[in-house]
Amino acid sequence: MMQLLINGLIAGSLAALIAGGLALVYGVLGVFNMALGQMALITGYCTWWFHQVLHLPLGISVICGLIVGGLVSWFVFEIFVNPFYKRHRFLPLVTTIALSMILDGLILLIFEEQPHAIIPGIKDTFQVMGAWVSSMQILLVLLTVLLMMIMGYVLHSTSFGRKIRAVVQHDQAAMSLGIKAPLLHRYIFIMSGVLAGLGGIYLGIDQSLTPVFAFPITIKAYAAIIAGGKGNIWGAILCAYLIAFLEQFAVGIHWFGLFYIPAGYQQAVALLFIIFFLLFRPNGLFAGRARTA
Amino acid sequence: MKRLLAPLFALGILLSACSPTADNGTGPIKIGFIGPLTGDANTYGSDTYNGAQMKVDEINEAGGINGRLIEFIVEDARCTGTDAASAAQKLINIDKVVAINGGQCSGETLAVAPIAESAKVPIISGGSTSPDVTTAGDFVFRNIPSDALAAGATASYLQENGLTAIALITENTDFAIGFRNSLIENMGEDSVVFNELVEPGTKDFRTLLTRLQDAEFDAFIANGQSVAVEAAMAMQFRELGLDHPIFSNNAVVSASLSEIAGEAVEGLKVVMPPSEGADANKFDTFAAEFTALHGPAASSMTYAANSYDIMGLLAKAIAEVGTDGIAIRDYLYGLDGYDGTVGRFSFDQNGDVVGIALELQEVQDGVFVKVSDIAVE
Repeated sequence: MMQLLINGLIAGSLAALIAGGLALVYGVLGVFNMALGQMALITGYCTWWFHQVLHLPLGISVICGLIVGGLVSWFVFEIFVNPFYKRHRFLPLVTTIALSMILDGLILLIFEEQPHAIIPGIKDTFQVMGAWVSSMQILLVLLTVLLMMIMGYVLHSTSFGRKIRAVVQHDQAAMSLGIKAPLLHRYIFIMSGVLAGLGGIYLGIDQSLTPVFAFPITIKAYAAIIAGGKGNIWGAILCAYLIAFLEQFAVGIHWFGLFYIPAGYQQAVALLFIIFFLLFRPNGLFAGRARTA
Repeated sequence: MKRLLAPLFALGILLSACSPTADNGTGPIKIGFIGPLTGDANTYGSDTYNGAQMKVDEINEAGGINGRLIEFIVEDARCTGTDAASAAQKLINIDKVVAINGGQCSGETLAVAPIAESAKVPIISGGSTSPDVTTAGDFVFRNIPSDALAAGATASYLQENGLTAIALITENTDFAIGFRNSLIENMGEDSVVFNELVEPGTKDFRTLLTRLQDAEFDAFIANGQSVAVEAAMAMQFRELGLDHPIFSNNAVVSASLSEIAGEAVEGLKVVMPPSEGADANKFDTFAAEFTALHGPAASSMTYAANSYDIMGLLAKAIAEVGTDGIAIRDYLYGLDGYDGTVGRFSFDQNGDVVGIALELQEVQDGVFVKVSDIAVE
């Protein structure tokens, strides 16, 4: 049981980083970024490259990877989102789908097809209350939670956060009060790219990076933000964890002492559960009255 | 890249209306290739492609087949049936190839088989080991032994070593399911204490493996088809403190498996077609030439050698009976024996290879090495 909770935390933290990044952009800009999974992978791959090819220490590699991830996000924002999203907020849906295909190709071209692991091999594991974990996994989970707490603090207790929430409520009105809404949009987009990039690094450390993995992680993040109440970043993050726990429990519990759900249905069962919830709360499990950051 | 090719593809369909409908006896002889050049299974795609291209270059440099050069047309099928089917449609209907080397993945070959059958174009695979390929059609051949044999040999090895209770996790692909089913058939249902199927590309096995902690079993069969999935399975198995021996199938034989999974896959065992043919010198010469051109094999030299032999065999067949698909098929069935780099082989009435043995390989210090020969009955 303890092991199931830990497994859920490990998988959920990864999903939460991606879903958080996605929800941040959707909550503030109202834009769906379909290329976020690829952006996350690029950050992961760059970190792998710095660590395994250039042999930089892990910490520096992660920072360099995140800087590249941030730059890529900035570039993506200027070319694929900024010129379009003011005209219609669904336009970037199309441009980012195109971008995701381009990035898929670029990842294949630059990093080639074989899988890469940022830290290869077995991580030393030990038992905590009957559950096997590695110190790297504990670190990754704690860092994710810490990051979420910092983000919460920034959004709710700083003047930067207040400005963001003002822009979310009414960007024209916020601009008339001297808040530079377009600049904030740019910051938010880069922040979401970095957040997702951390997800990519997480994936590269805990499992391995493969070029085909971008789409599945994006889809799962979408499920989380829709279930969480569109645009509600905390709802999205909580739902990312919820889906991860449901997936683990689906296959890990001996239901009624009679049967296990076959592993092939692991994802389907979790998502069906979410759909069932949405029947009763169509706006999402944690929907507020309006879009909030 | 493929999306860029789509308009060209449409243009090709238009142009094909003007092109001759069959080989007209002049110009280059077209032979197709279908394999996973990208995607999780790319390592055997690149090895089989490089092996085939080597033979094509050799033949063309020597003046071609009866004075006609080979035009080698290559399509990527990403180890999926849908991509393989569209690749086969293109090669057969637009390029009008005489024969196809491929697919390499079993899923590819099974998807290509009905298309090749209706167009009467023979296909030979050097990598598809699914038992289903045996009955895939009259124009389908392979020079790699069926998994029914490899799984049977794995089962006998397990039983001989007293590993009678097995736990299986299988990736949901034609190949891996074929291996699983043959293994269960040979071991008996009662030997299987844990049997789960996961979606292709799954990398989180922790909860499934958690259930194994309470199970009584002797050996873990990590039955994945791609290196990334296999590595995740083996690593998470070991990270949960499980120390049972791990067995797998020949699809995961790749240099990058150890690069990712490290000591998690040390001692992992697979039953493989021989890494050296009956004539070791011949195989070594090939391996040295291949390595000089492309570096070490990304998966296993066996796949490259099989693919090399397929091109040699096709060239020999075309030289003797011409470019008619039915004539080539009949030639292959009637083949007395082809002296390839992997040994002397022919085909049985199902197009399955005859004459190729198997061997047990194990990961030692990050490399797959031969442990023992396995007789095939």
